[in-house]
Amino acid sequence: MRPDASKKIAAAAPKKGTNPVIIGAVIAAVVIVAVVVAIVMGTSGKSDGTGASGQPSGAVASDAGGILANSSPAKSNAPTLDLYEDFQCPVCGQFEKAMGPTITTMVAAGEVKLIVHTLSFLDDNLKNDFSKKTANAVACAADAGKFLEYHAAVFAAQPAQEGAGYTDAQIGEFANTAGITGPPLTTWQKCTSSGQHAQYVLDTQTAAEKAGVNSTPTLQLNGKDITKTLTTPESLITQVKLATK
Amino acid sequence: MNPQGGGRRADFIGLLARLILGVVLIVAGALKVTSPAVSARAVNAFQILPYDVARYVGYALPVVEIVVGLLLVTGLLTRVSAVVGGLLMAAFLVGIISAWMRGLNIDCGCFGGGGSIDASQTQYLADVLRDMGLTACAAWLVVRPRTAYSLDHRLF
Repeated sequence: MRPDASKKIAAAAPKKGTNPVIIGAVIAAVVIVAVVVAIVMGTSGKSDGTGASGQPSGAVASDAGGILANSSPAKSNAPTLDLYEDFQCPVCGQFEKAMGPTITTMVAAGEVKLIVHTLSFLDDNLKNDFSKKTANAVACAADAGKFLEYHAAVFAAQPAQEGAGYTDAQIGEFANTAGITGPPLTTWQKCTSSGQHAQYVLDTQTAAEKAGVNSTPTLQLNGKDITKTLTTPESLITQVKLATK
Repeated sequence: MNPQGGGRRADFIGLLARLILGVVLIVAGALKVTSPAVSARAVNAFQILPYDVARYVGYALPVVEIVVGLLLVTGLLTRVSAVVGGLLMAAFLVGIISAWMRGLNIDCGCFGGGGSIDASQTQYLADVLRDMGLTACAAWLVVRPRTAYSLDHRLF
């Protein structure tokens, strides 16, 4: 009779009954490490939105931030417009075409206090850095007292294709269009190439998110979102008049 | 009908549930994992969690989705994975329905993107129906984690 080999066979066979708890613990550990890495990577380089370094002139000292676009003080009874835009946002380009001249006229007449928040979230969606670059450049233009002029030049040159962005040559050309010349131009160039307001640009984005603004363009009149109510420039003028005390 | 045949059929229904839920989770996670900032903003746009918590959820979510998806597709720790997958779906449903009820116009950002969109572009109903279907897959697996072609079956 052949010796009974069943015990040997059973011992040689792969063990059934691997402990699921051990496998579960290993997987849980891997997940925890991966999540921590993801959070650390996501958080690194992010500001807390409170940094005061590298603020451009006209930077508004409030939680919501933004740059005051009025070059001379607005009338004391003028309402405040908060405009949130990303230079790469096509709808913002359309908005500027439709409403930009009207807003600029009201600012020049001191009828509104305009605070512009140049956002840069589209960089993450489009995987480029043109929003941050132009937002820094326009902050540098604010230092030269040409914020609105530069702002208008960028939107006038917005590419038809979202994501095509702006070349460095264009960003330089906008300064000429905005009328920045002489020594201020040299300062602007240094400010732009060094990314002097880069941190401020990140802070502006963070502040907007904290304020619950997650789409562009957003126009607030005395803090109330009126973007969807704007059909014509006249509708904006009417609302501004109503808000003027 | 013999009971064994019924059991085998149920095993295959379980396999289908595992693959549907698992593949959707992997795809959703993979589309978001390379743009953590976008994912964080998508969560923030629901205006439910405080800003910083929403950010962390946005960073962590794609990783969790991918891992749970992989476990489900391979059929490893099926019941636990299905519980986690089901809880994720329940949380998504709460978020989407809450955004819908509050009249927010946002993209759920379920498969990347997210944030405010035009009212005409919202697709809350489709999102809710999809996530309800996926919740059903998870529920099946929690109740009956035995499925065809699973690592659980081979290992344990």
